[in-house]
Amino acid sequence: MGATNSAAAATCEAVPQSQIPRVVVIGLASCFGCQLQITNNEKHLLDVLGQFDLNYWQLVSSTPMPDDFDVAIIEGAIVNEESLKLVEEIREKAKIVITIGACANTAGIPGIAAKHYDSRSEYVYDDFPAAGGKAISPRSVPSVIDVDYRVPCCPIDPFEFLEVLGKALYGSNRPLTEKTMCGDCKRNETGCFYQQQKLCLGLVTRAGCGARCVNLGRACNGCRGLSPEANLESAREAVVRYGLNVEDFDSALELFNQTNPALQGKE
Amino acid sequence: MTNTALHIDHLARIEGHGNIHVVVKDGVVETVEMNVVEPARLFESMVCGRDYTEVTYISSRICGICSASHVVTDLRAIEKIFDVRPTERTKAIRELLVYGSYLQNHATHLFVLAAPDYLGTPDVFPLAELDPELLNSALGIKALGNELCTRVGGRSIHPITAVVGGFTNEISAEEYLELANKMEEMLPFMVKTVDLFNSFPVPDMKSEGDLLAMVEDGYYPIITSDNARFLHAGETFDVDDIHDYIEEYLVDHSAALLARVKKTSSPYMTSALARVNASWKHLSSSAKVVAAKAGLRPPELNPFKNNVAQAVELVDALERCAGICRKLADGEYEGSSAPIAYEVKAGRAVGYTEAPRGALFHDLTIDEAGKVVEASILTPTAQNVANIEADIRQLAEKLVGEGVSEDKLKLEVEKLVRSYDPCLSCSVH
Repeated sequence: MGATNSAAAATCEAVPQSQIPRVVVIGLASCFGCQLQITNNEKHLLDVLGQFDLNYWQLVSSTPMPDDFDVAIIEGAIVNEESLKLVEEIREKAKIVITIGACANTAGIPGIAAKHYDSRSEYVYDDFPAAGGKAISPRSVPSVIDVDYRVPCCPIDPFEFLEVLGKALYGSNRPLTEKTMCGDCKRNETGCFYQQQKLCLGLVTRAGCGARCVNLGRACNGCRGLSPEANLESAREAVVRYGLNVEDFDSALELFNQTNPALQGKE
Repeated sequence: MTNTALHIDHLARIEGHGNIHVVVKDGVVETVEMNVVEPARLFESMVCGRDYTEVTYISSRICGICSASHVVTDLRAIEKIFDVRPTERTKAIRELLVYGSYLQNHATHLFVLAAPDYLGTPDVFPLAELDPELLNSALGIKALGNELCTRVGGRSIHPITAVVGGFTNEISAEEYLELANKMEEMLPFMVKTVDLFNSFPVPDMKSEGDLLAMVEDGYYPIITSDNARFLHAGETFDVDDIHDYIEEYLVDHSAALLARVKKTSSPYMTSALARVNASWKHLSSSAKVVAAKAGLRPPELNPFKNNVAQAVELVDALERCAGICRKLADGEYEGSSAPIAYEVKAGRAVGYTEAPRGALFHDLTIDEAGKVVEASILTPTAQNVANIEADIRQLAEKLVGEGVSEDKLKLEVEKLVRSYDPCLSCSVH
């Protein structure tokens, strides 16, 4: 995209053109919301775009996708053979792959369809349309290729995206926190849904969003994905202790974690 | 150009993935296909079996830009089934939430996606040098839409606070007044923008399909009525009877189910342009003046004018929402926004809102336990695809008759499709 080159030149005067990272943005099966969240950094959008050479972003430009690039930002879940092949190609070409949003990172909401996948298309279509590609059961991007950086949540937080992009462009291997969200509510003094006998997935969900939903009066729905530190068995015991139903807890977890191996074998 | 095969693969600057094929033989347009190649995510099957409290969280993920509309549409269906009557205050805040997505959608579409067609640039970024003031103000409108959605719904997309019977959180009177001030400050820029989009030359054409929009006596409705109207057929219907009036059908070349008027088999358009045609006299005063000045009055059937209609709606939304915010700050709406108590009941109802891009319907059936047992979702773009194809054919025939170059034909077809502001990821949901 022409304008970003000159903007980049202005921002990084000392950096030769050849060293400015070339970035592509790719959307798979998703609501496009995370790509929109990138543009929702209005105040900083031009500063952000000035740091790299945005080679391809189909959502906003008619310039075609190049063969050669440095950083690939992937949004969306893999739900057909075509996108499976595409992410494998991207992995071969890109030095750095960043996955953004729940769809890319955990298969997210599209991942719900992974359960009883074969019966679902019949519900929507009499004959499954060929135009949407050769459909396969939904899966996350990291379940198919190695991913260097992740921006979780549904949708991503625009500022967290900037933080991760900064890590990718300027180098930092500080990982995402693996803690569960529960501690956040204590710090925020927002009380606990379990005290009101209501399910909340903060028990097992990766921290880092600041408990945004709980702050606004709604229980965590797990969009940041299951924390690697989550103890599902102990969480289920807690659910029972509060007089709630384990089946409801497991069902609620399916919203954003259906394809997580930790949830498999439950049925 | 008596023979040509036009293939536009991955049409850029629209939401979602689509291709267009136009085949011209001996000067006659033979084939027009809009292939929606978006992979099916099977949302209707995913909503089924879920608890009613989860439905808004799932269906809002159909579309990042009209997520607020999907949420309010579900809530309207569920509340009809449970016989919940939200307060006037809750209804006013929901209107703000959906108008927040109008600001986001129309500003993004007009400036980022559509304007480059008329400025002769591949994307919006050259505007940073060509007209930085325009770009800054345009981004300002979009930012204001994000702010409205964030303050009311909890974040810029996929709202958190809107639930059955009310809101789990509400901002202070001071914050409403702050929002009202910001909206009023933006009005002069938006008024100018209507003139700007109206100054772009567009082909002279009239869409032959019908127009569908929400109607209500004495109001410009987007979330407050259960009545939809086909403007040409002159038929108004209660949305619970939608299947008697709208027919969905499958074609080979598209992953989206298409729609047509059941009685006439006519394709139809649902959009800002359809709303302005249906409720012109109920536009806000500034919006009506600026629309009249731009010559946008019913019947306006040129699909390219949807861009102007969206700009007019932005003027309307800013003025209307500033008024709603002031009334909310002054406590002029009856009741509180705190969720009201209700009982789960079994039943079926159709939720209806005017999403930024047109009529949105969610037909839900819920059982005694509150689980969804049937779901059917009809999005604006799915309804528009058949009419877009009919308009492409009409435009291509006209331009081929005028002997234009293939490049010009391609550009004008792309501009036509973009003027509908299609969301292909919505259309395949």
